[in-house]
Amino acid sequence: MSRLGVFVCHCGENIGATVDVTEVAERCKHMPGVAHAEDYKYLCSNPGQNKIKQAIEEHQLDGVVVAACSPRMHEPTFRRAVTDAGLNAYMCEVANLREHCSWVHEKADSTTEKAIDLVRLQVEKVKRNKPLDTIQVPITRSALVIGGGIAGIQAALDIADSGHKVIMVERSPALGGHMAQLSETFPTLDCSQCILTPRMVDVSRHPNITLLTYSEVEHVEGFIGNFKVAIRKRARMVDEDLCTGCGECLQKCPTKNVADSFNEGLSMRRAIYVPFAQAVPNIPVIDTENCRKFQGKKCDRCAKACPTKAIKFDQKDQIINVEVGAIVVATGYQVMGTERFPEYGYGTYPDVITGLQFERYASASGPTQGVIKRPSDGKEPETVVFLACSGSRDAAKGVKYCSKICCMYTAKHAMLLKHKNHHAKAYVFYMDIRSAGKNYDEFVRRAIEEDGVKYIRGRVSRIYEEDGKLIVKGADTLLGGEPVEIKADMVVLASAALPNHGQGELAQKLHVGTDPYGFVAEAHPKLRPVETTSAGIFLAGACQSPRDIPETVGQASAAAAKVTALLSRSHLAREPLVAEVNRKPAPQFSDCTGCLLCETACPYQAIGHEEIKDRNGNVLKTVAKINPGLCQGCGTCVSLCRTKAIDLHGYSNEQIFAEIMSL
Amino acid sequence: MDVLRNKARDLLAQGQVQVVIGYEAGTGGARRPSFVRSEADVARLVWDADCVGNLAGYLTRAEIKKMGKIAVVANAATLRALLQLTAEHQLAEGAVSALVVTEEGAVLELSNAQAVTEHVATLPASLSAADREKLDQLMALSREERRAFWEQELQRCIKCYACRSSCPMCYCGSCTMDCNRPQWVPVASHEMGNLEYHTVRAMHLAGRCVECGECGRACPVGIPIHLLTCYAEESVRRQFGQPAGTSATLNYALGTFRPDDQETFIR
Ligand SMILES: Cc1cc2nc3c(=O)[nH]c(=O)nc-3n(C[C@H](O)[C@H](O)[C@H](O)COP(=O)(O)OP(=O)(O)OC[C@H]3O[C@@H](n4cnc5c(N)ncnc54)[C@H](O)[C@@H]3O)c2cc1C
Ligand code: SF4
Ligand code: SF4
Repeated sequence: MSRLGVFVCHCGENIGATVDVTEVAERCKHMPGVAHAEDYKYLCSNPGQNKIKQAIEEHQLDGVVVAACSPRMHEPTFRRAVTDAGLNAYMCEVANLREHCSWVHEKADSTTEKAIDLVRLQVEKVKRNKPLDTIQVPITRSALVIGGGIAGIQAALDIADSGHKVIMVERSPALGGHMAQLSETFPTLDCSQCILTPRMVDVSRHPNITLLTYSEVEHVEGFIGNFKVAIRKRARMVDEDLCTGCGECLQKCPTKNVADSFNEGLSMRRAIYVPFAQAVPNIPVIDTENCRKFQGKKCDRCAKACPTKAIKFDQKDQIINVEVGAIVVATGYQVMGTERFPEYGYGTYPDVITGLQFERYASASGPTQGVIKRPSDGKEPETVVFLACSGSRDAAKGVKYCSKICCMYTAKHAMLLKHKNHHAKAYVFYMDIRSAGKNYDEFVRRAIEEDGVKYIRGRVSRIYEEDGKLIVKGADTLLGGEPVEIKADMVVLASAALPNHGQGELAQKLHVGTDPYGFVAEAHPKLRPVETTSAGIFLAGACQSPRDIPETVGQASAAAAKVTALLSRSHLAREPLVAEVNRKPAPQFSDCTGCLLCETACPYQAIGHEEIKDRNGNVLKTVAKINPGLCQGCGTCVSLCRTKAIDLHGYSNEQIFAEIMSL
Repeated sequence: MDVLRNKARDLLAQGQVQVVIGYEAGTGGARRPSFVRSEADVARLVWDADCVGNLAGYLTRAEIKKMGKIAVVANAATLRALLQLTAEHQLAEGAVSALVVTEEGAVLELSNAQAVTEHVATLPASLSAADREKLDQLMALSREERRAFWEQELQRCIKCYACRSSCPMCYCGSCTMDCNRPQWVPVASHEMGNLEYHTVRAMHLAGRCVECGECGRACPVGIPIHLLTCYAEESVRRQFGQPAGTSATLNYALGTFRPDDQETFIR
């Protein structure tokens, strides 16, 4: 017979005002198996915990039920307390009298009765609890960083500096992400390339970092501490060991009319190219979709030009298999294209451009060497209209959320225009200015007050072309909705930041959750902002939601700290609340029939199979096998299994059945 | 019939199989299973329209597996069960050859899952016309009427478990019904216990039932119990479009986690 202790908490007034706590304790004394019951004002306090410890000793208790708040709050507290008194942590259960009873009912006798029932359930359960030990899982002490934007770069450097090996996978031919495309950065207006390039070089030179560009994650299996990742390293058609980055080949390529995506389509590049001058690695790649050779024509001019014979037209994609203990997702974002805006011409007006295109014009390394021009005729625009919130905060036409960076970069753009062309006129249409951040509001004020940017509060309903001008029709809501019409030379849309393309597929491969918009979801919006819903997989930067560089870098370092903490241990302790396939004496060996229907049901791919063998190695039976390192204890397989061959430790069929039958 | 007997004789003589499971004449003109292990017994085999039983139920029995390699004379239902059992890892791929007698009287030997899958794809639905009609009638009833129908029928159930024993998909060594720690379903054949037993069985067969009707034929008190599992199977098929017994790879609608599932609760 069990000797259980029941401890009922008043939680101040939280439970005490609605439930007759003393009555609950009194009635519990008479439940079979209960050796001791008492109530206390705050059991989670130190004196409260001491009461539990003392009672365990004094009454030689072998199990404890704490009737208090949600186990999410204090289950660890009470489990620690019973361990201090010499019991196994899992011999303690919490009955939730607060969220499940006092907070949701009025004070009444029936409320107290329900509280007693809730305790009775746990008493029946604890009677059948078995001591459990934490599971120790070995850890592979290296990390994978997916995405080589500033988020990935920062995370990789921080992890590598702490002494752990990092594999960095970047989809494009070079590091840098969007930051490499930016001209100058708010709020300090320092040159983006200048602060980024040293970091990119650090990544490529770091002894602990293996950099794989032009590569993508093909397949992921495993679990926290033990991921197995297959990476597809796409064929560059250039031998990375032989290439010296001299650039001879680039000059010789006869294909010159490929839209340059690094310049957001504002200029042309060749079929063999390096995305930008400071690219890391500085190794060209052949764009096989546009290369003559790969289109079946005769051409090998680049190969002829190469002094080291590095061009390899027969290079094949390579699959590289790596094992890592942790993964950081840093895959960034993309911006909504102008073609998504019917009222602004569906992308048909060449002089309606995105903010990212404006960045390329403003950049000293851009298609115009930093002179702001317009695409249609290459003239310098005199009047430029900037539209904040293009597609953002607009559930009907775009996305519901605020893209967060646009207020700031729009102020920056208007300012850069005025700095580069003092006569130019800059108008900004905005809904409201969101400039919270260190030195951010000052930055916007500077644009308005010092540089004379005209801010108009209102939205633009339509843009159309007339006599070589773009007619921007809007309303000034601060003037009571008075119509405004501006004849502009160029319009810049601060278009919404969206989840990067391919983000959904990657999330599926990694089994991480996404939010309703498609950004990677954090495990908890406040308390676990850099963890994903999958243990051992972390996130950083704009893949979680739009954000600026300071925030991205801060988050990347935070994710790196989490990774480093994980990799600093050789083993990982996990809660033993996992499912297990049972064993029975011969001839059954197990209730499992080996149908393996559970294998496809497990959301965490924790189920495989194993062979039960006799002493001579003959297979007696093939049964399902659950990997305790992967199992999250969700119980899906338990309910699926027809023969009830699977049981969840801590929530066994027998325990749940006894709970229900006690009512 | 002779073609079948000759085929069986050849297979046994050449040692390709150690047992041919087929049909032989039973009492009162009925057909019963026949286990032919020597050439001498081949003459017992018969094949005609009365051979409706599903022989796949025997294939998973340990005592039969022990006999060696098996050939089974297979009607449509047997073939479907064969595929479903392979999908559920109860039969090793290629462990059983299916002997199919065509309309023209020829015998096809289907010795792997792919051959069976291709053949099954050419066959019409398993359900007999009479059962189809009864099932449609049941489906046309209101929920209350249907419940009343089954309560009425199940009153007669004596819980002999003949339905379970005859079912090729009820191959589990230890059935939940026999589990007594905890005792999920009461043993006695009272109203509640009967309803629980049959609901659980139907749920366990939804998405897996090959619609052979064997349980209905086995019931000693004449409950058309196969209509319950067929009903469950058909519900799954209508909503998820995955008929059981058409493929040797698992695609179990009620137990496949997909991150892209259209139901959001699962994520
Ligand atoms: C017009 C504009 C102006 C801006 N100006 C400023 C500014 O002045 N100051 C400021 O602080 N912020 C600014 N920002 C914001 C800044 O761009 C972002 O904060 C920053 O780029 C986020 O970095 P990231 O690494 O998270 O994402 P990204 O820069 O998007 O990098 C993501 C990287 O991951 C790679 N990747 C994506 N998917 C995969 C995959 N499946 N596998 C492998 N690799 C993958 C991409 O190729 C890319 O290299 C501006 C943004 C815009 C649009
Ligand atoms: S309990 Fe959940 S996570 Fe664990 S093996 Fe079963 S289905 Fe998978
Ligand atoms: S065969 Fe008939 S009587 Fe026996 S358990 Fe099944 S339904 Fe009941």
